[in-house]
Amino acid sequence: MPPLSRFLLPFSYAKERYAGHPLRLSIAALKTIFVFHVFWQYGYAIAPLEGPSMLPTFEVKGDSVIISRYYRRGRNVKVGDVVQFDSVVEPGEGVIKRVLGLQGDYVMRDTPGSTDSMIQVPDGHCWVIGDNLPWSRDSRHFGPMPMGLIKGKVIAKVLPWSERKWIENGLQPIEKQ
Amino acid sequence: MASTRIFSMFNRNMSVRESFHESKYYLFSLMTWIPAVIFFNGNVGEVTWINGPSMYPYLNTSYNEDLKKDVCWISKWNPTRNLERGMLVSFQSPTNPEKLAVKRVIALEGDTVYTRAPCPIPTVQVPVNHVWVEGDNRDRSQDSNSYGPLPKNLIQGKLTYVLWPWKSSGPINWAQFKGKTRVLRGRRQDAPNWD
Repeated sequence: MPPLSRFLLPFSYAKERYAGHPLRLSIAALKTIFVFHVFWQYGYAIAPLEGPSMLPTFEVKGDSVIISRYYRRGRNVKVGDVVQFDSVVEPGEGVIKRVLGLQGDYVMRDTPGSTDSMIQVPDGHCWVIGDNLPWSRDSRHFGPMPMGLIKGKVIAKVLPWSERKWIENGLQPIEKQ
Repeated sequence: MASTRIFSMFNRNMSVRESFHESKYYLFSLMTWIPAVIFFNGNVGEVTWINGPSMYPYLNTSYNEDLKKDVCWISKWNPTRNLERGMLVSFQSPTNPEKLAVKRVIALEGDTVYTRAPCPIPTVQVPVNHVWVEGDNRDRSQDSNSYGPLPKNLIQGKLTYVLWPWKSSGPINWAQFKGKTRVLRGRRQDAPNWD
């Protein structure tokens, strides 16, 4: 068992290195910010949600989710995943919707019940729809969305803490009877 | 010191272990700058090699003669602000999200464009938060005529300088560009919207 002072060594080292060296300290702080930025951009991010478009899944206000950036640009995204992407309509706004079709899939162009016309999703695009159909601006309005806009996939709900859960792909294949 | 590190291999009196420890320290302190470089490349600017003939003859002027590629500087700070007709922009290709595409902005939101061959309709009015992009090489370019207006949020940089070849290097004078595509200028307020 090493003596307690051994555990304090990093602190005394940091004090010796940074105390009285403002330039050294500020450079180290800047580098730490960059580490967190890279983690936020290419690892995981926590984001608060707002709006009624995903209603049964996420509340209008007060929910926060974890977003995995591994799925950026639509890598390995499957039908049924909830993705976060940069808005097609509003500059600099992030949106969360559910993927309903990938490239080559045939999807219904309008809200079920209005028309029955189908559309094929072009290469590199996907078809995104909010869970709350009457209160959602999605691919029914702006058409197929380029996958390059996708910034990540929602993997978990963390806030409110009592309702924390993993967000899993709700679509399961039907077993034949 | 760096010099000690280099010359230690010739110095019989210096212990190997000491110099190894020192080079490990320098390697680590170099590695701590990697996140800063990633931030710079993603948000400030990046050097990019141009592939393919879609911007010929403006970029890759020697496309038909050799395999050399033009080298450009992409400025990534606020790329969607102050977009003008004629600017060169880089974005994730809508048809292949892993590929970076470079095209010229032909029309802004509200403008009406007279389209070309692959486009099914004769004129398109560019909707809000979209731009119309085309390659300079009209015959060999996959652009807005095949995939439609491009969402502004897809744009991740403006091409501001040509760095190589030496002959054409310098700032890109996008304002001098005279396009062959017919564009009727419109106002942003008149652009189609989805409210």
